[in-house]
Amino acid sequence: MKGAKVVVELLERQGVEVVFGIPGGVLLPLYDELVDAKFRHILARHEQCVGHMADGYARALRKPGVCIATSGPGATNLVTGVATAFMDSSPLVAITGQVATGVLGADAFQEADSFGIMMPITKHNFRVMDPKQLPKTMIRAFKIATTGRFGPVHIDIPIDVLTSDIPEKELSKDYPIPIPKRNLSQMLDAVKILESAERPAILVGGGAIWSNSGLEIIKLAEILMAPIITTLMGKGVVPDTHPLVLGVVGMHGRQGANYVLHNCDTLLAVGTRFSDRVTGKVSDFARNTKIIHVDIDASEIGKNVKGHIGLVGDAWTVTNALIAGLQSRKIKQSEWKKRIKEIKEACTCDFDLSGEPIKPQKVIKELSRYLPDDAIVTTEVGQNQMWMAHFFEMSGTRQFITSGGLGTMGFGFPASIGAKVAKPEKAVCDVAGDGSLQMVSQEFSTAVENNIPVIVCLMNNGWLGMVKQWQKLFYEKRYMATMLGRSPDFVKLAQAYGADAIRVEKPSEIKEAIKRAVKSDVAYLIDVVIDPEEDILPMIPPGKKLTDTIYGRCCFSIKG
Amino acid sequence: MKSVRDMVAVISMLVDDEPGVMQRVMGEFTRKRINVETIVVGKCEKPDKARIVLSVTDPVKAQAVIEHLRMLQEVNEAETVDESRHESYLLMMNDFGKARMTGSIEELSNVIEKSQPKKYISTVSAL
Repeated sequence: MKGAKVVVELLERQGVEVVFGIPGGVLLPLYDELVDAKFRHILARHEQCVGHMADGYARALRKPGVCIATSGPGATNLVTGVATAFMDSSPLVAITGQVATGVLGADAFQEADSFGIMMPITKHNFRVMDPKQLPKTMIRAFKIATTGRFGPVHIDIPIDVLTSDIPEKELSKDYPIPIPKRNLSQMLDAVKILESAERPAILVGGGAIWSNSGLEIIKLAEILMAPIITTLMGKGVVPDTHPLVLGVVGMHGRQGANYVLHNCDTLLAVGTRFSDRVTGKVSDFARNTKIIHVDIDASEIGKNVKGHIGLVGDAWTVTNALIAGLQSRKIKQSEWKKRIKEIKEACTCDFDLSGEPIKPQKVIKELSRYLPDDAIVTTEVGQNQMWMAHFFEMSGTRQFITSGGLGTMGFGFPASIGAKVAKPEKAVCDVAGDGSLQMVSQEFSTAVENNIPVIVCLMNNGWLGMVKQWQKLFYEKRYMATMLGRSPDFVKLAQAYGADAIRVEKPSEIKEAIKRAVKSDVAYLIDVVIDPEEDILPMIPPGKKLTDTIYGRCCFSIKG
Repeated sequence: MKSVRDMVAVISMLVDDEPGVMQRVMGEFTRKRINVETIVVGKCEKPDKARIVLSVTDPVKAQAVIEHLRMLQEVNEAETVDESRHESYLLMMNDFGKARMTGSIEELSNVIEKSQPKKYISTVSAL
């Protein structure tokens, strides 16, 4: 069997239903086989977006997304997509073509050392030099991507490997990979600490999303009467409507959540890596708090926050084990319970702001109201992302997909396309900024051509808003290169690609636009002209303490 | 000049004997900002496997990097090795010719100090 056929055959056997890709010279043998493949191929317009689409697909379905790019520039363009998936532990299988083994290393046309380039931004990567290794590599790649902590795996395949003959028996062999071990030796200590905690709290990160353990987290929180706070990546794992859920923590988090993070005496951290955006100045973080750190990746325990109890295992298993350990024990802290209620109430300030130009908070409020209860929302990076993180209400079974670790502008739109392909029955809405969208706007072509009716809600303020906000707050309003002086007419831009679009300039028009967009059977852009002077506040300045918070409109009155 | 005696942590790994493994392993040290003092790599008793033994000066960092090394697909085992199992190797040259020695880290660094060779290379291995 030809190498290219082997790739297609093994993708089919892995249950792959769709791949995102862009062809190229060295991929011609593979694309020739794709003509007869059982799965769908979606042609994107830029390799970065190929990666983000597969990533969005993977996050929506919690199964590996597959992306394909050619050698050289194809591979280097794909780097941002793969790095984004790596930072957020998303299972990707990225296949790149490579020049023939005979000229590899000779600076051949479209040659780049993609094996070397991808190494630090993948969970693992392969270069297949021996055709006989191709089946083994393909099978192991999927296993590695989805075993233990998920992550992207890259396979670099030279063109002559795609054209050589491979014995078919190699395809049906089993190629096991080592399974990371659980370590729950400190379980008893953890249970004892949680049991005797006076002010416990549960911090939930992306790990809990990947292991789908929202229900278990809530059950555990109810046993402990502990508030649940989430990281950006954990947003949506528990519904915001639950009385114990206080929302997103961190630099732009909810003040109620931040208050709890900094005032609890015991913190159970599940599937989170204590990023600097959560902890602030890490040397001052949680000095008097006992931390129990649950993570599937043993190397995360003690990496950023040291000297605490570690439980190594997936969020679902460990949470269930903790429930079993704590269920029969007497937990009493009525005072803390009362306090949580006060905090939750103090942190539900009104942001249904009227007035023109439209306030971004109003847009998010309307999205919370009028997007369906099972909608998938994606975000770009910057103010739009933080407004969504702070204000968007995760009710029902909504999913929140964002580039948290790498912070990739231009992630949200292609990721929404990937998510819509994964779950076509759901409304998928990308909340974008005008800066981010212009990095990837060519993908309207992909969405329209392939009948992928995503919604793009563009928060158009004419600035690279987040950087502008920092220049305003920390650099004496010396604005440099943050005003987007000449942007296109986004409505016409979307229409030029065959998408539908509407401009919204009055708060009263937002509702109708969202309703129309949800019903649309073609990609739909809502160009909301928002107030350029509105910042994302509250904010804890970088490296500072909770007491240094810049509040803005936030009226949270319980101060740390 | 830092003598080999100052070295405090030795890490031993069993890895797949494949191209790119050294790059991947060393990448972890680069990213964690750890300077590697000595490296010994070679074939071992297991087919298609190799051992990497390297030493670093910071035992705390060594302990932290071990978990990251274990996460690598091609690293089968990674552990720190205690002092009793260290074995130092010295190749030196002066005007009279070449000499090679093995011994404890302590012994060989004494030799270097006393004989002040014109040129030398010293490394640490362990099993």
